[in-house]
Amino acid sequence: MATITGNLNERPTPARRGTSSLQRLGELAIESLIRLCGYSAILFVFGIFFFVFREGAPMLFGGLDLLKFFTSTDWNPVSKTPSYGILGLLAGTASVTVLSMALAVPLGLGAAVFVSEFCSPKIKEALKIAIEMLAAIPSIVWGFIAYMMLNPLIIWATGAPVGLNVLNASIILALMSVPVIVSVGEDALKAVPDSYREAALALGASRWEIVYRVLFPAAKNGLLAAVLLGIGRAIGETMAVLMATGNANQIPTSPLDRVQTLTATIAAELGEAVQGDDHYRVLFVIGILLFVIAFVVNLSADLIVRGIRGKQNA
Amino acid sequence: MPDKNLPENGSTHFRYFVAAKPNGSPGDGTLEHPSRSIRDAIEGIRARHAGDSPSVRRLNGYDRIDICSVLKGPAAKAETKQRYEFFVDPLGATDLAIGSAQLPWPDLESALEGVAKMDAEGAISLAAGEHLSLSVREVFSATPVDRRKRRHERIAQIALGLVTLSLVVPLVAILSHLIYKAWPVLTPSFLFENPRNQMTAGGVWAPLIGTFYLVFISLIIASPIGVLAGVYLNEYARDNWFTRVVNLAVVNLAGVPSIVHALFGVGAFVMFANMGESVLAASCTLAIMTLPVIITSTREALASVPMNFREACWNMGASRWQTIRTIVLPNSISGILTGVILQVSRAAGETAPILFTGAALYMTIPTKGLRSFFPYSLQDGCMALSYHLHVMMTQVKGASPEAIEAGKSLPLEHLQYGTAVVLIGLVLTVNSFSIGLRMYLRSRKKW
Repeated sequence: MATITGNLNERPTPARRGTSSLQRLGELAIESLIRLCGYSAILFVFGIFFFVFREGAPMLFGGLDLLKFFTSTDWNPVSKTPSYGILGLLAGTASVTVLSMALAVPLGLGAAVFVSEFCSPKIKEALKIAIEMLAAIPSIVWGFIAYMMLNPLIIWATGAPVGLNVLNASIILALMSVPVIVSVGEDALKAVPDSYREAALALGASRWEIVYRVLFPAAKNGLLAAVLLGIGRAIGETMAVLMATGNANQIPTSPLDRVQTLTATIAAELGEAVQGDDHYRVLFVIGILLFVIAFVVNLSADLIVRGIRGKQNA
Repeated sequence: MPDKNLPENGSTHFRYFVAAKPNGSPGDGTLEHPSRSIRDAIEGIRARHAGDSPSVRRLNGYDRIDICSVLKGPAAKAETKQRYEFFVDPLGATDLAIGSAQLPWPDLESALEGVAKMDAEGAISLAAGEHLSLSVREVFSATPVDRRKRRHERIAQIALGLVTLSLVVPLVAILSHLIYKAWPVLTPSFLFENPRNQMTAGGVWAPLIGTFYLVFISLIIASPIGVLAGVYLNEYARDNWFTRVVNLAVVNLAGVPSIVHALFGVGAFVMFANMGESVLAASCTLAIMTLPVIITSTREALASVPMNFREACWNMGASRWQTIRTIVLPNSISGILTGVILQVSRAAGETAPILFTGAALYMTIPTKGLRSFFPYSLQDGCMALSYHLHVMMTQVKGASPEAIEAGKSLPLEHLQYGTAVVLIGLVLTVNSFSIGLRMYLRSRKKW
């Protein structure tokens, strides 16, 4: 690297001279404001957990049979004897996530390798813009695409009576999470030092051999983090799956079965639930669950990435 | 067909058989039906390997053609001993070519001719169990291993290219299909009219303005916090566990599902802060959701300002904040702006966070005069494009054919596609601004 760019570590503290006390006071104020804003991210994450927890807690600690909650497929919150079993919803979320990742991981990693190693700078620029555009399409528009375009396409291709199912949602989710996988995966490949490539090249390796013998092992963690972030995106997606899955609470046995996901359940039912009653609070409990899942996924992705950085610095 | 072997080194090995004691019909050069003479075998080779260009190209690297003399009948054995060896090499060819390693023939045609001539002159006599071979003289050409490697690389490149293409194709297909379907309603009046007749006619003015409201207010809330947080992380934070926690919080804030943000908005703003379902509550929810976008891009923009800019400033006696204000921020403002624009695009497209915090199903607003630009109050809900699209898909019933016939209503599909195109157009336009700005920046970078 030709330029040393601003890094947050190990820099000398600048001297403070020639400033009046008033100036210094103003400076102190603005610096505390900056610090406060910096800390705010923590505040917001805790805030999210706190307020979601606050609404869900009365149900979580009173009245909700957690064993039944996780092991029953009986989700019937509006009957006289309501039952709250989310196994079907969990299965719905899991099925679309797994199938979408089965599509998105090869596509995403393949595209990341192509963009990073196999194409000219101009094509690279164009592809990155296209992938950014793909990432910019709002989730409700993806839902619209699933509902209006992919739905008839799936009916035509498979002969299924309804095209809103696991397959539909998985294709949409794959297209939605691919940009994350591509950009994080490309970063991971870029982070492999060029000396590795040069050494392999000097030994007579072809570009493909460099990719799968040198880059894949070296960038393993970064690529894993890319996949994890893609999974996080797929689990948390709401509006698109609300439109695409067909919303039938059941454990799917084939990709052409309709399912309902955790996120879609909240989106579909919170509007009807009476504020403060059990149904309403159970939806917040699902929110807590989603928060925890997202937290774990992001935390592990972050730890994995940090793991590589630590190793590289050492 | 003659024998075609693929020896282990990847070269191709063609074998044509000649029977020493010919009888009966002319063979085709295989072990079962050997040719009757070397001349016949050469004719066969010429027929199979000839082309319009000098066909030595068809003999790659270590490829070889053998003419094997065998016994006819069940005693025939494919394995033979080499008796003569001839060479072809377009690079080493001279007028005096005789097919030896020193003076090779220039191409396969002349090689075959040369062998035929020698055969006619009686210079070649193959006993059963012997063969003559014709191969490319190797000096600098790629070895079969190299060629296989290159072939694999080619395959990998094409396969990966196709994979990448399979991401671009849906994008183009989706965009063109949306525009094609929405074309009938894409007129200025679609933008500037309110939805009418139970949302079966009119345009998207009220949702469009609502989206502007939400985006603008969330921007006002998120950008100062986000930019200052970015400044903190890049300029103030030291490398310790606390900074790591802050970074982790930013990553997690970005990773929290949008519907959980919606629940947070309901719990914190709608109920706890008593804002009710309002523009303000929805904007606050959107602001917090899009905060990480601004923080991350601000930090990147600041980090790209060279360290020696700061050092020079400090050496002049400037304080840390003075350095940031006069040197760091002006040099990174466009990068920060890129992030802010991205925030706008994110906020405009989100639906889930505003579902229960302030999006209204239907409102009429003035479409004329100054009032039409400021129709919503902060305490009330507003329509929004993304939510409007959701409503158009799930809750609006299409108009009756008579109403469409009478011109009072538009077909539902047209309205749906129209709304989708306006939303996606808005988001992609804003995004293109961000991309354009970034490319402009990179081209003008001073360091």
